Amino acid sequence: MSRFAKGKRQPGAEFTWDADPGGEPDTAPTPLYPTLGFSSPLSPALDLEFLSTMIQRSSYSTQAYVVPWARKLTPKDQNAVDHYRHLREQFQEGPFYSVLDSSSSSAKKGSAARANFDSFTGMPTFSGRYQKKRRTLPRIDTNANQHEFSLKFFPRELWQTIQPSYRPDAAIDGWEPGMATSGVKRGFEDEEDEGDEPNKKRATGGDDEEGGDDADDGELLDEEEGQEEWEEDDNYEDDEDELGGDYNAEQYFDGGDDEFGDDGFGDGGGGGEDEL
Amino acid sequence: MLMSQYAVELCTLLIEDNFGELFARIFTVLQRYERLPFAKLKFHSRLTDRQLRHGLTAMIQHHLVFHFTSLEDNNTYYESNPNAAYYLVRSGKILNLVEDRLGEYAARIMETVMFLGHASVTHLETLPQLRSLNLPTTNGTTDPNEETQDNEMEVEDGPVQTNGDHAPEEFKPAPLHATLKALASHGYLMRVRDASFQSPADNFLEAQRVASSRPGNKALKGKRQQEAIEGDTQSLLQERLHADLSETLMVNGLPRGIKRKWANAASGSTNEPRLANGVNGNGTHAGEDDEENDWSEDEDGFDNVPMEAGMVVRVNYEKLDVALRNDRFVSLAEQQAPPATTRVYESLLRRIEYNTTKCRDKTDIPREGEEGSLYSQPIPADNLLRDIDPHMDLSGAFAPLDSSSQLVNGRGKRPLENGINGDHDDANEDEENGTNRAWEINQHLNLLSQAPYNLTVCVELYGSAQWQINFRGLARKLRHLELERMIESRYGDVALRVIRVLHAKGKLDEKRLQEISFLPWKDLRQTLSSMQAGGYVDLQEVPKDAQRQPSKTIFLWYYDPDRVVGSVLEDTYKAMSRTIQRIKVERNRLKDFLEKTERSDVKGHEEEYLTDEELELLQRWKDKEALLLGEVARLDDMVAVFRDY
Repeated sequence: MSRFAKGKRQPGAEFTWDADPGGEPDTAPTPLYPTLGFSSPLSPALDLEFLSTMIQRSSYSTQAYVVPWARKLTPKDQNAVDHYRHLREQFQEGPFYSVLDSSSSSAKKGSAARANFDSFTGMPTFSGRYQKKRRTLPRIDTNANQHEFSLKFFPRELWQTIQPSYRPDAAIDGWEPGMATSGVKRGFEDEEDEGDEPNKKRATGGDDEEGGDDADDGELLDEEEGQEEWEEDDNYEDDEDELGGDYNAEQYFDGGDDEFGDDGFGDGGGGGEDEL
Repeated sequence: MLMSQYAVELCTLLIEDNFGELFARIFTVLQRYERLPFAKLKFHSRLTDRQLRHGLTAMIQHHLVFHFTSLEDNNTYYESNPNAAYYLVRSGKILNLVEDRLGEYAARIMETVMFLGHASVTHLETLPQLRSLNLPTTNGTTDPNEETQDNEMEVEDGPVQTNGDHAPEEFKPAPLHATLKALASHGYLMRVRDASFQSPADNFLEAQRVASSRPGNKALKGKRQQEAIEGDTQSLLQERLHADLSETLMVNGLPRGIKRKWANAASGSTNEPRLANGVNGNGTHAGEDDEENDWSEDEDGFDNVPMEAGMVVRVNYEKLDVALRNDRFVSLAEQQAPPATTRVYESLLRRIEYNTTKCRDKTDIPREGEEGSLYSQPIPADNLLRDIDPHMDLSGAFAPLDSSSQLVNGRGKRPLENGINGDHDDANEDEENGTNRAWEINQHLNLLSQAPYNLTVCVELYGSAQWQINFRGLARKLRHLELERMIESRYGDVALRVIRVLHAKGKLDEKRLQEISFLPWKDLRQTLSSMQAGGYVDLQEVPKDAQRQPSKTIFLWYYDPDRVVGSVLEDTYKAMSRTIQRIKVERNRLKDFLEKTERSDVKGHEEEYLTDEELELLQRWKDKEALLLGEVARLDDMVAVFRDY
């Protein structure tokens, strides 16, 4: 059975270069595995053609593993698949689809994104302006979205994400234990409450220290800290935008979009085609 | 919720496929660590504050994440919702079903609601894609079905519009409220409640807490207190989670918007060929045609009162599972019964669907033999009489009426001489009155109640025969059929026979098994050992003495469907996730090309910008992807049978 038996060579002898100069090493699987149906032993002459025919005849094919074929799609299946794809396309075009790694040359220095930047294909090119862009952050913007966010369905700590004008420090009263029994513990307070609270707070700055429990104070502090962090984040980004920042390669062509549109310069190519 | 590795992997892949990597990352972290407050979540997911906030908001919008704000420490905890993630895979089927039942526009509303996660009625009103009946067909769908359907829609809407022709179709006001009502009364849409954003466990605990803090319950003691709290908890839960819109919107026990095909059949000439198809018994195709466009807004002028404006709706997957399960029953009936019988069965199931809110009472998969029996509401055959097209040939499947002896056997086999009598039959048909048809419907249902499937069950109520469905029994049947199909395709018919013997007889030693199954030793041993290797049958040793010598040990073979279902379910999840991964790999191979087709200038103008070869390549890619996705959908059918039905 074994291919070693025939030529009386040492096991592994076929891997030495001098035994078979210029020959291909035998990388075929050991014919003893799987045990079924392998009858003709491998000859020591190991040219590729022979090998391939051997493999075809070897145990793998004689064992006759039938590769199952998928049935063709029925019209109903096809219809369902089309529906799925259509919905998926909507999701992917929608404001929420977001990828994690968008490495670009404008990423912060030293950040992971910058390190992953592919200098061959990553550079923005002119034709790249048509390339599909993936956002890295779901867009939560009630005005621009088709989506409608009703605050009462979301936890309080996300309210500011949905409605940037919302001030979380107004909400301390909303967490009074008195709310506990009713089911609306996350319920959105009336407009008046929301408008009044911050003013009241600012006007009577000391109120909290007197009235609030220690626990509440702790909460308040945490909240505010989180808030500051938040604002820093925002400010940082805003600054970048306002000051124009450094040269931003990512927006190199995007910035020009309007100009092209306005003076018709960008239409040159398209216009030419039309004439043709 | 604890889930197996492959189920989690599948859900993550589905989310990634639909919503991108950010969602998938958050979902994975929440799956791995279960329930986390924001800070921990941020730590584990290594995302920025901003990413996480936006991601979570969007995921909550899509019900992919539960959240719960504890009253004790004021922290908000987030938890993944794997069910919602899994149902992403069923979206295609659901839309297909809605389109079949209620028409293209209803499917579009459904799709929009799915796209938005949940939406209020007022918001739906403002959306541009729901304003007109006709979709500006930018989505290059390949199948011609859709176009024909649009046309049919137009035909049906003809009477409503005064000019009702092609010109003003884009600005035709769409029957949004009517369709929404139809969807809601079918139960496909449900109201969004606060509680539906919290995980079931949280809801339960909270309800329990509220119940136990009630003064009435506090006064009680011991066992009685416990009972009272339990009862209160259940009622509170029901009250808070109650989101079903169908009851309030039904008219005379029927949902709005269903239209009987035959109401139009007499007048509209377009329906004639369809009808002919039905009579010819052209199998499934005729059935599908019958189902299409079952709905239009002018059904006996039903009221124009708009939906409650502030109501927020979402997709009711539980109810849709019921509808999908009924479809499955119908296809089972198609295998054993003539087309007319199938139609009758379908309308019976439709009636039953209106009264069934979910597939099972309990969430966990029932064990074999412990399912109990869950019967549907009984439906008298007279009710079906109104649902079934009066022009449909009900008697064609039976022996002629005058030969009463053949009617008794009722097997639906047409005797030979019937071919000669055929004309005579048809002539009689016109004179048949309602009672005769009712009798025929009963006969059809009787045929379905026969073994092996027992698709219907007859009960005598109030002096008349009424029909119902044994849900649990049928679900078990479906499960077994699925397993048997699988075993047969893997191990051959010998194995199938062995499995059936083992299932019927319980544990058997090899000798008995051989005697019962009439199989040669060699075949039997080979299949048994290969099936054992595959985990389908197992061996139990019963030693006769303390030494446990093999010679003095009895070896019993057995087949445990529960175990097999469990492992097959896992295998199915794995196969699904591998298939989706395969799509990703295939996509990566063609990445550059596909990115080109997705360029904003190329998209929608493929014919203009791409060469013939590229178009062909694109088509081939689409076909390949469709095949793989179709495979996932089929696997999902299996999951539904094993897990949901």
